[in-house]
Amino acid sequence: MTSNTYVGSSPNRVGGRDRVTGAQRYVADIHLVDELHAKLVTINESKARIISIDTSKAEQVPGVRLVMTADDLPKPMPRFGPQFQDRPIIAVDTVNYHGEPVAAVAADTKEAAEEGAALVEVEYEVLPNVHTIAAALAPEAPLVQDPSLRVGEPCADTNIKTEIHFGWGDISDVEADADFIIEREYEFPMVTHFAIEPHAFIAQPDGDELNVWSTIQHPFQLQKTLARLLSIPLSKMRVFAPDPGGGFGGKQHPKLEPLLCYMALKAGRPVRLVMSLEETFQAVRRPSTRVRVRTGLTNDGILVFQDIETNYLIGAYVDIADRVASKSSYLAAGPYKVPVVKIIGRTILSNTAPTTAFRGFGVPQITWARESTLDEAAIELGIDRLEIRRRNLPEKGYEFVPGDTPVDGEWMQTVDKAADLIGWSTPLPEGHGRGIALGLKSGPTTGLSYSTVRLLGDGSAIVFSGTSDMGQGARTVFSQIVAQEMGIPLENVNIVMGDTGTVPYDQQTSASRSTVLMGTSVYRACKDIHAKVKAMAAKIHDVDESEIEVDGGGVRIAGEDLPIMDVVTAGLGPLGGEVIGNGEMRKDKVPGHPLSGSAAFFEFNCTAIEAKVDDETGEIQILRHVTVGDVGTALNPQQVQGQDDGAAIMGLGHSLMEGYILDEEGRTRNLGAIDYRIPTSKDLPIELISASIENRDGPGPYGVKGVSEGSLLCTAPAVGAAVRDATGLIIRDLPLTPQRVWEAMREQER
Amino acid sequence: MKEFSYERPESLDEALRVLAASGPEVEILAGGTDLVIAMRDRYRQPKVVVDLKRIAELYPTLTWSGDTLTVSATATMTEVVNDPGINEHFPALAEAAFVVGSVQIRNRATLLGNICNGSPAADTAPPLLAYEAVIVVAGPGGKRRVPINDFIVGPGKTDLQESELAIALELTTPSRMMGSAYERMTRRKGTDLASVTLCATVDDAGVTQVAFGSVGPRAFLRTDETGVLADPNAVKDAKANVFENIFADASPSVRSMRASPDYRHAMLRVLGARAVGRATKRLQELQGVS
Amino acid sequence: MSETIQIETTINGRDWAFEVASNHTLLDVLRDQIGLTGTKECCVVGECGACTVIVDGIPMNSCLMLAVEIDGSDVTSVEGLASDGHLNALQQAFLDLSAPQCGFCIPGQLMSAHALLQSNPDPTIEDVHEGLGGNLCRCAGYLQITEAVLVAAKAGKE
Repeated sequence: MTSNTYVGSSPNRVGGRDRVTGAQRYVADIHLVDELHAKLVTINESKARIISIDTSKAEQVPGVRLVMTADDLPKPMPRFGPQFQDRPIIAVDTVNYHGEPVAAVAADTKEAAEEGAALVEVEYEVLPNVHTIAAALAPEAPLVQDPSLRVGEPCADTNIKTEIHFGWGDISDVEADADFIIEREYEFPMVTHFAIEPHAFIAQPDGDELNVWSTIQHPFQLQKTLARLLSIPLSKMRVFAPDPGGGFGGKQHPKLEPLLCYMALKAGRPVRLVMSLEETFQAVRRPSTRVRVRTGLTNDGILVFQDIETNYLIGAYVDIADRVASKSSYLAAGPYKVPVVKIIGRTILSNTAPTTAFRGFGVPQITWARESTLDEAAIELGIDRLEIRRRNLPEKGYEFVPGDTPVDGEWMQTVDKAADLIGWSTPLPEGHGRGIALGLKSGPTTGLSYSTVRLLGDGSAIVFSGTSDMGQGARTVFSQIVAQEMGIPLENVNIVMGDTGTVPYDQQTSASRSTVLMGTSVYRACKDIHAKVKAMAAKIHDVDESEIEVDGGGVRIAGEDLPIMDVVTAGLGPLGGEVIGNGEMRKDKVPGHPLSGSAAFFEFNCTAIEAKVDDETGEIQILRHVTVGDVGTALNPQQVQGQDDGAAIMGLGHSLMEGYILDEEGRTRNLGAIDYRIPTSKDLPIELISASIENRDGPGPYGVKGVSEGSLLCTAPAVGAAVRDATGLIIRDLPLTPQRVWEAMREQER
Repeated sequence: MKEFSYERPESLDEALRVLAASGPEVEILAGGTDLVIAMRDRYRQPKVVVDLKRIAELYPTLTWSGDTLTVSATATMTEVVNDPGINEHFPALAEAAFVVGSVQIRNRATLLGNICNGSPAADTAPPLLAYEAVIVVAGPGGKRRVPINDFIVGPGKTDLQESELAIALELTTPSRMMGSAYERMTRRKGTDLASVTLCATVDDAGVTQVAFGSVGPRAFLRTDETGVLADPNAVKDAKANVFENIFADASPSVRSMRASPDYRHAMLRVLGARAVGRATKRLQELQGVS
Repeated sequence: MSETIQIETTINGRDWAFEVASNHTLLDVLRDQIGLTGTKECCVVGECGACTVIVDGIPMNSCLMLAVEIDGSDVTSVEGLASDGHLNALQQAFLDLSAPQCGFCIPGQLMSAHALLQSNPDPTIEDVHEGLGGNLCRCAGYLQITEAVLVAAKAGKE
């Protein structure tokens, strides 16, 4: 009976109109009466002992109201973090990475704050730092974190934060079965999110309440962190989270909000901080990695074992990096049938910018290494590079990680479609090369999303959801679900988000989860309304509820269809009112599971690239770029394409041009937009094709799976493979800049 | 950005009076695409900023007088890119101006500012060297004309003295038939600062000029009068030898973030050959139509 | 020694006369003094294009322009594209093709696209890539943005 008006359609983006008129309000666009402007004070070192901070000159600048240093904060310094409580509100005793704030100035104007910050005098002693894997692991390496912060940790007297072990079987049992063993090391650079909206925060004391505006992706986690640090009840700690101007993981966790709260409380006035792009580079980045892959295969290219060891160079504070490491390492062996797997992942602290979630959550780094090594093996074995993947690809239902979520899609369809779209079997023009790679990422392993849907008396509806719409289009898909289930026009649905004082709890917006988890919650809220409508109809028509069906198409009683609102209007009676539905989607922790839970779904992607290389300059031209994802159902095909195109191009960024350049002392030299290059409209592939496989076999409403990350999981190995195919060059470090390719060509000539 | 006194003279005399009265802590504002960044980052903190854009004598921005084109200090890159005369007679300059930044940058940035800013990577320096541009400098003592090769001194340094103002540059159409082309090397296809900039000209007497930048403290101009580079039949090794001499003074910085010295040296030779090739082709086209 | 200068300007069709500080950029004044927050701030070095506005018909990075420089000029920001609440053809095409994802770069993209179509009503894909090459989009919705500009160009011709 349900009419599929909205599922699989692409209505205009909800919030799109404000985005094309300039009316969309991001945090930096919000001003409060009597607000102060904050400016951070940093020193140009990656590790130093703070001897003294003289704020007197800064305090004399007209308009400067407050200069805050560690001395103004509680002792011992309060610390926070999503995994470990290791990040101080502001640097205390030592600066542990280039750009760590040592003081902050609040003033009536931006200029006064800037002037004050320039006049804060910091006396310090430079200390030895570590900013490479080798230096951090050296026997006498200076420790990034004081062992007193790491009581009870087995590696507390080293720079290793955590060493994780996953796998199944014993390689020594099968090593003899491998006809061919290949061992390679691949490196992935430090890259940063570069959301076009820099992070911004406002803190406002309000009686015994505290309001905070943040570009945060997870407002409820920020609320918890601040409530704990400041000993405020959750009910009085209110976080406003306007739609972020791009997140990509960099805005998941609290950063400077605690500092802003302390400043606002001390000043008794609202304090705002809009970070510069340079400051965001110093606040968030992706863990860089060195991955060693040892793969055993038969002569037919059948995988015998995988032995993968990943060193993740993380920042001075852990943020969510340990989780990035464990989650990406867990599926390091990829979407293959591998009888025996040994995985080691090691997070290594360093005096560098804190590493956090970044689209793909560690998977692009490992995939670059695993897929590239598999390609090297295929070439040495004389097996077609597509064929070697097909031979090892598991079928739907196969437990490729023993005892865990089995294959949840027809993965071969995805691979075949990508191969077809790139024309894998067609002859290549001279000088061109092709590459193909597979990427696999676990969706969320835990989750909790509540929602409320209010069906109002006039047939419109308001949805209350704690998801953050940072461009993925959550408002639109939730509107589609409610319009579909209530049988009302999408234009009559309004979505309320981004206010912990108004909307019910949602764990987080990450891991391509929102359409599946919050989408299910919203769907269930609609079902809750359906149940109430059914009860109304039963009462009005004096029939048993069992004889009534309710869905988006209306209310069916004894073969007769009634619009939902006819029943609701009659049921609500002369006082009017509304019907309220609540939804909950819970994915509980699984005790003993290495990731606390099994994957809700997989993002499975196949990327195929055709490229050519300028044999004089080393410049790579991407001629055709195909990305195919298994999406279950494309609830909104236009938005799926936007996510896939965007992720694919972001993948080209880290494949071809992005990377921090550190100096000898661990300072980032290329802060900001001039010397950190991301793709522009002139850097696109000649042809970019994003395609989907839809078998309606996902766990979300209407069979959806998550999208948003798939298309960048295996971009780099596909590009690398195409370059190798075109030139014979094997390059094991990213990005594949013209210079790096040229150097490899020169090496090849020797 | 620190506060400063903003001056907007309407005549050249007034501008020179303001400059003379302002002392050394003065900055000239034309397009501002370098200056505003420098002031915001506080590595330039002028007391006075003199905006040139209302000076009557600086308009029109592009004027021909016989064989000489005068480009005033307010002429933007966009104007240079779009000017038919520049495209006809100085095509390598139009090519270089076209790759300076984005549309928005080219709408603001001025050709003369690109030179006065003194960046070794200035895209337009090589073609202006090759076309033998002359900078017109106005000062308390009147005007003087400085060949661009003498005007460019080093990183951030020009021949401009205190209280002087560069008001225009002059380009004279080559006396011989000449083909020219501009090449650069960047890290991405989108807007970028170049790791090598290079302009080649080839004339009908077989003389080749190569001007190149971003590989040392300033852009250099070198000439090959042997005719080898311009000779399509010359063997590769012979050309390579000439290029070795031409690029002998290239000294790219090891500290650069944009490319290594080895890569820059190699790309000079690659781009040199490409630019000479395109310039030769253009010369042949000119000869074909004449 | 606050150096302020009285200026007169037209912004989105409305005449303004007010004082600006010498050291404030056009971006500062639009966002903080006039309250037109549609124009966005990101890199402040002229690389990202989020702050693009049109001054006397020409797209500029407002982060690199002193506010005093608009004295006597006509400025259009993203808020000036729609008239009487109706989206113009470009805005409508951006909306229809889902060109905005997070939306933060979109005002700048729109201003560059608007200026492009004013000077080149029939652009090729390469023209659009060049015309919008100074506007970064980290969501990388470049394909949809480009398509939207081409659709708007076509709509403008009909």
